[in-house]
Amino acid sequence: MTMQESESVSSLSDQAIETHGLTKRFNNFTAVDHVDLSVRRGEIYGFLGPNGAGKTTAIRMLCTLLTPTSGTASVDGYDIVKQGNDVRKRIGLVSEKMIMYPRLTALENLMFFGRLYRIDRNTLQKKSEELLEMVKLTPFKDKLVGGFSSGMRQRVNVIRAILHDPDILFLDEPTTGLDPQSTRFVRDLVKDLKQRGHTIVLTTHIMEEADELSDRVCIIDHGKIMAVDTPQALKDRYNTKSLLDVFLELTGRELRDSADGRISMRAPMGRM
Amino acid sequence: MAESITWDLALDIARRDLLDLWRSKMLLFFFILFPILLMSMFGYIYPPMPKSNPNTGSIGTAFPNLPVTLVRMDDGQTANSIAAQFIQISKQQRLFIVSESASYEAARNQLVLGNLKGIIIIPQGFSDALAAGQPATVQVTVDETNPTTASVVRSEISAVFNIIGSSMSTQNINNMDGGRVNPAFIMQPISVSNIPLITGVSSSFQFLAPGFMALTVITGSLQGVATAISREKEQGTMDGLLVAPISHRSIILGKVAAQTVRGLIQGFLILGLSMVLFGVQIYGSPIIMLIVMVLGTASFVGVGIIMTAIAPDQETAQMMTLILQFPMMFISGILFPIDQLPGWMQYIGKAMPLYYAADALRKVIILNASLAAIMPDMLILIVYTFLTMTVAIPLFEKAMRR
Repeated sequence: MTMQESESVSSLSDQAIETHGLTKRFNNFTAVDHVDLSVRRGEIYGFLGPNGAGKTTAIRMLCTLLTPTSGTASVDGYDIVKQGNDVRKRIGLVSEKMIMYPRLTALENLMFFGRLYRIDRNTLQKKSEELLEMVKLTPFKDKLVGGFSSGMRQRVNVIRAILHDPDILFLDEPTTGLDPQSTRFVRDLVKDLKQRGHTIVLTTHIMEEADELSDRVCIIDHGKIMAVDTPQALKDRYNTKSLLDVFLELTGRELRDSADGRISMRAPMGRM
Repeated sequence: MAESITWDLALDIARRDLLDLWRSKMLLFFFILFPILLMSMFGYIYPPMPKSNPNTGSIGTAFPNLPVTLVRMDDGQTANSIAAQFIQISKQQRLFIVSESASYEAARNQLVLGNLKGIIIIPQGFSDALAAGQPATVQVTVDETNPTTASVVRSEISAVFNIIGSSMSTQNINNMDGGRVNPAFIMQPISVSNIPLITGVSSSFQFLAPGFMALTVITGSLQGVATAISREKEQGTMDGLLVAPISHRSIILGKVAAQTVRGLIQGFLILGLSMVLFGVQIYGSPIIMLIVMVLGTASFVGVGIIMTAIAPDQETAQMMTLILQFPMMFISGILFPIDQLPGWMQYIGKAMPLYYAADALRKVIILNASLAAIMPDMLILIVYTFLTMTVAIPLFEKAMRR
């Protein structure tokens, strides 16, 4: 190993994301419980778990949308609490709720959100049209997104998140509620984004999707990490052909009707 | 975290919010309808002030041509002449439409049915009393079911008989004195003459319009900010703003700016309408008016932000602002002068920034007050701005990334 190589390996940013004892408590409910995880640069990291396992809470903390109760985390080498603004410059988020204004056109939405990253108008316009072309929405670019189908909206939503070329992209259930065609399109888009060098953290409840896309998967339950490995290694370890069986083996087969301390009179604003 | 405000991004956010309003034609329609409705409603509820002039004997009324009836129980010449004068003056000054009834019972039945507002009875012996040099009395019954019209009818009847009475007195004094003394010297040695503060101020709307402007701008932006932020929180678009490298202050500024512009549009719509429909006149500088309204908004919009920080959803936030809005409307001296309220309520009224914004705006519009003249009001509004924002910004920050 040469000098230069050892330097780059020891530098902070050889991991895209690193957390140490990351914890989030809401009142008495611990949503994320001392999680240590590391996401490598350029990989698709499948983040799996039953409803209420803590996936979204963890992602929202990494996106600086929630403040951790304890523990630390760095994204792209920046501390999520102390250097929130540096983190925000380098991440893109596709969350469960679509981030777009129904009364703006597709292009206007992209221009609006792109401006928040201080991209100059001309570059932004070119980039937006390029991305719209990539997701085959050029004919609809001047139509209000309020009238779009879910699949079309999700395509806009995804390219909205990569306008500023983020190093790390968080995709929280990007194919939920989409028809098979749109699902296929979005999955291919995710692979394509990986090729373009984005690190991707992906949550999904569809195990084939996780299997197909992820380089590594992390299965989380009750706020704790149950396993992290490549899909193949996990399947081998549990001696099964499907990731779904691995998942059920790790998280149990009973239904998750109870959400622990989550069910309370208080509305969960800001958590989701 | 970038603490500084990025003005151009705040402007982008404001522009988008306004575009949203512009794109929703239905919302825009009601947005414009609201001040029109508010203004016309109150404009016609609050009648113009009667233009009475004691010097010329003109009475003036807010309720012209009310139906009353005359019951003549005396058939003497004097009684008939006075009845004729009453009918003539009522008609001339458009006070009453006078009918005649055969009996008090018949007249009372009509009043109970709602066809009459008052009954004037000239009792038996009326002419004889006057002929004998004794004062005589007319009797009056009014429809007591509506206190406002009742008191108007009563006082207008008295006013008409005062005119008839004074002309009789003038004649009597002339008869007795032979014209050497001015009869007015005997009847009313001292009279009061009115010099108006500003010529032309005649409508109570002159008082109401500035208050309504302040009310609309302040409560409009308060509710607007609360609604806009909590709606974005619920829709999920707030995440898009929060996940971008832009300070909370810029987001707040953008939201507040958009709502302030909306409030100002409605405020000036109210002013324009009250000028066209109700003859309100502006004596002061529009620029000072603008400054007052912007500062008025700033003084209270923080409360809207605090509410979104506390409220779990849009509906609750709206409810909370509504609860603040109503008392503000009634006790901040918008609908009636604050001096009319019980003492403790005056204190609450004076704790509302709306009171100072309305007060300043009124002084500017009616009295052509300079910035220096309304400085006390302005300083209080500035203090309010700092107080509310000091609480609101950290609370917003905490609520958004709890």
